[in-house]
Amino acid sequence: MKRRKFLVSIAMTMAFAGLAVCGAKAQQSAKPANNAIALTGLPGVKDNAKGTLTVESGKLHFSYGKKSSEVNAASIEDVVTGEDTQAAVGKTVSNLSMVAPYGSGRFLALFRTKFDTLTLRYRDENGALHGVIFALPASGAEPIKKDLLAQGAHATVSEQQAAAAPANSSSKEPKQ
Amino acid sequence: MKHPLKAILWLAVVAVTFAATPLSAQPVKAKVSAIQVEMIHSDEIKLPAEFQISLYENLVRQLEKQGGFEHVYRDGDRRAKDAADLVVLHSTVRGFKAGSERTRRVTTVAGATSITIHCEFKNADGKVLLEKDVNGKVRFFGGNLRATYDFAKKTARVAHDNFSSSEHKS
Repeated sequence: MKRRKFLVSIAMTMAFAGLAVCGAKAQQSAKPANNAIALTGLPGVKDNAKGTLTVESGKLHFSYGKKSSEVNAASIEDVVTGEDTQAAVGKTVSNLSMVAPYGSGRFLALFRTKFDTLTLRYRDENGALHGVIFALPASGAEPIKKDLLAQGAHATVSEQQAAAAPANSSSKEPKQ
Repeated sequence: MKHPLKAILWLAVVAVTFAATPLSAQPVKAKVSAIQVEMIHSDEIKLPAEFQISLYENLVRQLEKQGGFEHVYRDGDRRAKDAADLVVLHSTVRGFKAGSERTRRVTTVAGATSITIHCEFKNADGKVLLEKDVNGKVRFFGGNLRATYDFAKKTARVAHDNFSSSEHKS
């Protein structure tokens, strides 16, 4: 009797494990939804709107709330990816912490998380130039760029050129 | 005793004249109904793509908001050809210092981001009507891209102060 219970429990464990593995594989095969923030420039979308970014049927779709905005991949003249950082703690907490005694709050400012930027230039039906900047989780911009290029978008800087370029571009200090 | 009084009187007259001069000689606003914003040029100074786009988008937005023009056209917009009294804004980056938001937050005195842009307002024939260097800065709080917002606001103010459309009352 004990042995039978033992075998049943092992069978159930294996069944659950199998289901879990299947679920995980199914999740991997589905195209991941890219969480993104439309920082600026997307027509009809407020700055810093949070949503998901996908490339389908020759278009870049940004879905936020119940609305969505799209840009034709063929009308995109340039796609550039970049990297930036943001405060790891929330903006309000971070600002409030600035008044903490002995500068202890400033310590929080040292903790930052990396994110990617995806910058696009495209022309509308009147030939007018638009620019859009998205923020995506780290290493989330390059797959979107590849998808866009595959669907007809253009890029002035290829990956090889980007790799050859110096990491930190020189800049001139304005004399004031 | 008579001469010092006379001198003081003359000084007072001269002072009043100089003080009144700016009031009477306020710049006459050129009549312009539309503006076309060209993409920001940064040939000499390498500017990150997101800065260039942010400058352009903020500039268009601020000119629409407070520039006082009937129409604000973007770079390449074909409809601008038919616009009467069109002025074209050319902007070239002259200086850029990418600061650090982290440094600003930690020190509050260092890490400022600043950008200097030479702005030229030209008429349809290419004649320069106005040129000016405009600075955009972010000193204490906010991300580096906030410098582009500062620049855009200042440039829109310059446009507002120097040009007016027939419908706009300044």
